[in-house]
Amino acid sequence: MTIAVSTRPGRPAAFDWVRRLPEYLTIWVPLLLSAAHLIAFTLWTIWISFTPSTLVPVSGWVGLRNYSAVAASRNWQIALDNLLLFGSAFVLLSLVTGLVLAILLDQRIRGENVLRSIFLYPLAVSFVVTGTVWSWLLNPGLGIQKLVHDLGWTSFRFDWLIDRDMAIWTIVIAAIWQSSGFAMALFLAGLRSVDADLIKAAQIDGAGPVRMYRRVILPTLWPITITVIVIQLQFAISTFDLVRALTNGGPGIATQLPALVVYDLMFQRSLLGRGAAAAVLMLLILLAVLLPYAAWRYVQRRRAIHA
Amino acid sequence: MPITTTRRRLLAGSAAALALPAFARAQSAVKPRLTAISQWSAGSDGAAITALGKKFEEKGGTWQHSPVPGFTTEMMNKLRAQIIAGDPPACSQLKGPEIAAWSKIAPTLDLDAVVAAAGYEKVVAPDLAKLHKPGGKWIALPLQIYSTNMLFLSKRAMDKAKADKIPVTWAEFNDLADKMKSGGVAFPVANGGTRPDDGQKFEAALAGISPAVYRAAIMNLDEKALKAPEIKAAFVQVRKIADWMDPNVGAQHFSTNLKRFVDGDMGMMIMGGWAQGVLRNAGFKFDDFMIAPGPSDNSKPVFLLNADAFIFWQRKEPDLQAGQTLMAQLVMDPAIQTMYSQITGSIPVRTDVDLSGEGWSDGQRRTAAALKEAIASNQAVLSLAHNMAQENGMTAAMIDVITEYVKNKTIKPEQAATRLAEAVESSR
Repeated sequence: MTIAVSTRPGRPAAFDWVRRLPEYLTIWVPLLLSAAHLIAFTLWTIWISFTPSTLVPVSGWVGLRNYSAVAASRNWQIALDNLLLFGSAFVLLSLVTGLVLAILLDQRIRGENVLRSIFLYPLAVSFVVTGTVWSWLLNPGLGIQKLVHDLGWTSFRFDWLIDRDMAIWTIVIAAIWQSSGFAMALFLAGLRSVDADLIKAAQIDGAGPVRMYRRVILPTLWPITITVIVIQLQFAISTFDLVRALTNGGPGIATQLPALVVYDLMFQRSLLGRGAAAAVLMLLILLAVLLPYAAWRYVQRRRAIHA
Repeated sequence: MPITTTRRRLLAGSAAALALPAFARAQSAVKPRLTAISQWSAGSDGAAITALGKKFEEKGGTWQHSPVPGFTTEMMNKLRAQIIAGDPPACSQLKGPEIAAWSKIAPTLDLDAVVAAAGYEKVVAPDLAKLHKPGGKWIALPLQIYSTNMLFLSKRAMDKAKADKIPVTWAEFNDLADKMKSGGVAFPVANGGTRPDDGQKFEAALAGISPAVYRAAIMNLDEKALKAPEIKAAFVQVRKIADWMDPNVGAQHFSTNLKRFVDGDMGMMIMGGWAQGVLRNAGFKFDDFMIAPGPSDNSKPVFLLNADAFIFWQRKEPDLQAGQTLMAQLVMDPAIQTMYSQITGSIPVRTDVDLSGEGWSDGQRRTAAALKEAIASNQAVLSLAHNMAQENGMTAAMIDVITEYVKNKTIKPEQAATRLAEAVESSR
């Protein structure tokens, strides 16, 4: 934004800011507003998490009592276990699916545009719709299991949705369906930007397609891979609507996730203080992902400048 | 646009200032107005409150109802926002112990005079009355009653089991379920998979086994009662019920399976009286099913009370105050309660309403009779699953244990009983 308009020679510099006023207004006002909004509400939530608030926010100080209550609750412990499992499975599998799709699409095939749209399309569907559709597909009495039974294979079982040990995987399936197209798009862009000379050089050296991908192309993709991991991880941590529509935390409380616990505490149980504490804990988990990423970016940039 | 509003406000303001002395004199003749919020927007609930609004207007009032569709908690979010903004509605839907909890965060209206004038207290179940006068004064009025433990029997499933006797105790219930199973009924118990559904199974079991332990453990959270053998017995019964249910329901609503219930593919349903309205709305006939009070081991009906109510918030505006008085009178009126319950399938709060006339179903008559009998034998208790027995936080903690037990058959009954007592302890 600073290079957009430079002071022209022969004009008094004092009037410069007047000319640039629209520029300042369009950039700074929304930026400050949204930053204030974000920061103010984050600080407010942190403050509430230390108060005895229940139905409505009240002042007072209870120290870490809300935090210890949340941390000791079964719901939160189950939610953390699930987050660990769901987060790692979802990120890993959507990464692999996205990469495979991107490599397949990269073979200069016919109808690439149509296929790309199809794979990206789930991203345009809201999570509530995804969750509802998959809750029908995965319901053993209505969906895939019934279809296979009706086709004649009656011993077929696919009842993860109602199996409390496997239910978390139904969320993984639906989430991958929804967002591996996104990973694919990023990888595809990465694949297309690989230097053509590099590929030609490898071809001349006699590298086959498998070796070419493993040794030449994929290593150039790792910055994109990290970006995809971070974006998918922050999605995994804040997953709410998908679970709510698909299993609503069930069977029983087997598929609780942190965002569900926050909502449940704040709005179902009217325990604002505890809900805020759970929300702050979620923020800390997010920071645990985002801060190392930011540090990594910083180091990268420093290196690029010095190189 | 903003200019017009200001100008209009200015005009209205100066007009009001000029008219002030005249206004004070004419206060008794002010046109009653009522601002109300509830979650009742559609179906029989929406129709009933719209009919109530019509009556309000017939009496010369202005009816301003803003429904907040969805769960009760979403209505509560709007109520919370309005209270924090200092602009509560003249009255709002709220029920059970939430009335006491919310009355602490904003001033409510003292309804004692208008309740006394109507002689209302004598005709309301005592436990119910207590909920609506938390500080000793009436601040809210119940509108209609449901029992959450009615037993619905599918006629076709009964035919398959070659049975015609309605089970009275849990032992008879279990016998009938076994007969249904061997008679070819795939799932003797029809159900949904939501949290309140699971909670209802437990509360029906415990209250049916011992209303006294239910009152002590669930309503009064008595530590000794929470460790009583009846709690474990209730969990044993819940497991039996769970084994007879279709495991495929996932998190479905109970109404999804009503057709299978009527067809005799499922046999019995433990559900609130509202299921009658849902069955009728879905086009099924009264011949398709029977309704009776839920199983009770001492053979006297046990009534798990669920009552919708309105709480009245203090307002300074004379027209709103007049509207609140009118609304209170209407809600207590037997004719209005009759109209309301006939639309929704509930029963009136007043125990002195005659249900023998046209417009009432056998199920409603049986429910009302059960309530009268249950009150007489001190077996009318407050529903846990529908937020009547405890505040939301405590209820949710207890339902967590119950719903996990229903879904996870590796948890033993005694384990569940211990977890229930622990959940209560940690939420106190």
